Amino acid sequence: MPASPGPSIPPLPEPRRSDLSNGTALVQINLPEAPVVCLDLWCRAGSAWESEAESGLAHFLEHMVFKGSERLEAGEFDLQVEALGGNSNAATGFDDVHYHVLIPPQAAPQALDLLLDLVLQPRLDASDFAMERQVVLEELAQSEDQPEEVAFQELLRQACSAHPYGLPILGRRDRLDAHTPEAMAQFHQRHYRSDRCCLAVAGPLEGLDLIDQLEASPLARLEQGETIATPAALNLQPGEARLELPRLEAARLLMAWQLPGAADQDAVMGGDLLTTLLAEGRRSRLVERLRERLRLVESIDLDLNVLESGCLVLLEAVCEADQLNAVNEEVRRVLLELQEQPPQAAEMERAQRLVGNGYRFSLEVAGSVAAMVGNSNLWQRRHNLQQPLSWLEEWDGARLSRELIPLLHPDRAFNLQAVPA
Amino acid sequence: MSRVNAAATGVERRTLPGGCPLWLVERGGPAILSAKLWMRGGSSADQPGQRGAAQLLAGVLSRGCGDLSGDALADLVEGCGAGLRCEAAEDGTLISLKCASGDAGALLPLLLQMACSPWLVEDQIDLERQLNLQTLQRQKEDPFQLAHDQLRGLLYGDGPYGHDPLGSDADLSQLQQPQLQTVAQELGQQGAVLVVAGQLPDDVEERLVTGLNTDPPRWQAPARKHGPRGLQKPALATSQDDTEQLVLMLGATTTALGAPQALALRLLHCHLGVGMSSRLFVALREEHGLAYDVGVHHPARLGDAPFVFHLSTGSDRAAEATRELLAEWQRLLEQPISEAELSLALAKFRGQEALGRQTSSQIADRHALVLGHGLPFDFADQSLAAAAELTPAELQSAAQELLKSPSLSLCGPAPALRAAEQVWQANELSR
Repeated sequence: MPASPGPSIPPLPEPRRSDLSNGTALVQINLPEAPVVCLDLWCRAGSAWESEAESGLAHFLEHMVFKGSERLEAGEFDLQVEALGGNSNAATGFDDVHYHVLIPPQAAPQALDLLLDLVLQPRLDASDFAMERQVVLEELAQSEDQPEEVAFQELLRQACSAHPYGLPILGRRDRLDAHTPEAMAQFHQRHYRSDRCCLAVAGPLEGLDLIDQLEASPLARLEQGETIATPAALNLQPGEARLELPRLEAARLLMAWQLPGAADQDAVMGGDLLTTLLAEGRRSRLVERLRERLRLVESIDLDLNVLESGCLVLLEAVCEADQLNAVNEEVRRVLLELQEQPPQAAEMERAQRLVGNGYRFSLEVAGSVAAMVGNSNLWQRRHNLQQPLSWLEEWDGARLSRELIPLLHPDRAFNLQAVPA
Repeated sequence: MSRVNAAATGVERRTLPGGCPLWLVERGGPAILSAKLWMRGGSSADQPGQRGAAQLLAGVLSRGCGDLSGDALADLVEGCGAGLRCEAAEDGTLISLKCASGDAGALLPLLLQMACSPWLVEDQIDLERQLNLQTLQRQKEDPFQLAHDQLRGLLYGDGPYGHDPLGSDADLSQLQQPQLQTVAQELGQQGAVLVVAGQLPDDVEERLVTGLNTDPPRWQAPARKHGPRGLQKPALATSQDDTEQLVLMLGATTTALGAPQALALRLLHCHLGVGMSSRLFVALREEHGLAYDVGVHHPARLGDAPFVFHLSTGSDRAAEATRELLAEWQRLLEQPISEAELSLALAKFRGQEALGRQTSSQIADRHALVLGHGLPFDFADQSLAAAAELTPAELQSAAQELLKSPSLSLCGPAPALRAAEQVWQANELSR
């Protein structure tokens, strides 16, 4: 680092934090150049908070939210937002769920009212519930028809053992069949609380004063909830398994490791560097060795999944079935070499530039800025946008070798080999 | 070296030595630069027996060019933390660069070097060919891909749009260096355009031709012309797969971006398939719970673009889903959409345009696409204005003309295929 910034680089915009009178977190960030505003409502209500009987309920609720509220008919929210030139979507993860709207600036206040009403006062009508269950079951069937997704699900199931990260976000079919609107309403009441929600607003905010509007909204009427036990810490179990999958055309080597959880954002940046130097670009260690030189794989990827109970590093190598052993041995060899040889300065610099630019490029879009500051704030992380770049600069090869590389030892991984049945 | 950005946005048209048009779109905001070099041709220009040549060449362009070996080039690009990609689409080959503005001086010269003096080393061609063959094989895991490939066959037969840009196994395994050499010499000869957007250095033009060890390419702006045609005969194709769901794709070949009825069709696309208030989403998912994923695929093309409804549904509901999907198609032919539906479609069209202009890459990409089609730089703005004048009757007559004979592609388990096929055979659209 640094990425040779020219003198004209403006400082990154500062998030403005202001909690509502009931304690709900609000964070705003002004992006004067953006053509749209992103409204992003986050809640600590991902699938990891479900009980065993609630399997799939967090995600099913996210679907049901769009079926209307006390004030909005089913479909009315989409119609109004889209008639204003906006669009909306939502995503349920292991830890949290978020609902977001992209909207032209002048329509932002109107869209905000609609969004808060929709998410915080869902109607959960019984006949809509039955219909939407069908849609969720179709979503499940669609993912089960992708053998690669089946393989990843199996990897997580075996690697995470008892932890909810080992369970499918979409839920178990038998549990989905048994869910009721009442149980869903309870789940909503328990989790969509003032101390578990955060609203992020990013975009051209000049002249947009939302505080009064928010104080009069359902967001300000949320109450603080009872304390809910945090999901247990992840304790990934190393191991090995082999799986035969119908409809698989190419074999997969999948591996999973555990790194420190999202609370340690400094380590997250280190993890990003590590996965980048190993598998991002032709000159990364794994891609160069396995795809470019030995030509054993069609592709090899290493992704850092940032999660609260412990980050997951997931490796996927795609190869011919008869090369799988060779791939497995070579991946092991590269990772063992990494334990022995700390990354060189040039390697580190390359990875730092890639990670730093990837981060800066993502700041071009209101949606990803809102997601970043919204998620951070939801989990009580109060750093600004510049901070991750400073953390990034502080990592060097020696520190990576000391703190993170040992965690990526091949013996610490769960290793799943999937082959065509 | 970045110029202070006085005006918010400035657009300049220049010409590179040799004739290639260069568009500079200066933007405020972060110090990022995006460049797109669009060269007409792409997979629709693959010669018979050479399906996959354009994409194979695209993959090899960054594996050595000018004075740089493939490794040296990767070291330079990745060392700047930049992205440099080259891909063949149906109508053109596109080289894309995205980098920090401060690195533009080092990276901009690569664009023309890749296009004009690629090394085309045998060993690197072998690697890229093998990777493409493996990707083709792996794609068969995805039932949507299978249904899509099958529909492409129904819509375009052996025509220029009849194959995946990756090519076919048989042709790809035969492709060798001499054929790629010929394809490389053709790059840009049918027209090329370069768009650079973001925070720009002062000397973009000089940078672009720096280090060229050939004469600057003699390229002209892409001319307006109609691209490849499609077939217009309703047909059915099925492929049996041991899946839970049945994938249905119902589609027709229509018309080119910028053609007289294309805008009406684009509004129909917005009406049917954009957003959760869209007609197909509401009718098939919200009202019938038939699918999770339902929508419309209608890419911009130089020739007869496909217009496709797609859906996947539990195999026990195959007949119902087929009936509903066909009914939605038929409705387009039989009744005009309402004024309220038209206003909503217009709002979505405008909204999509605004959302598609958020980043320098999006801006460069959209302008390169329309210029590559021989359309004016401000085509998108013209379309926004023209769309406001269209009537429900004009949309219906576009549907009646362009969507009258759809084909159906099915992929799924045998009982679902039989059920869907029966519904199709009984429907007048199949005749």
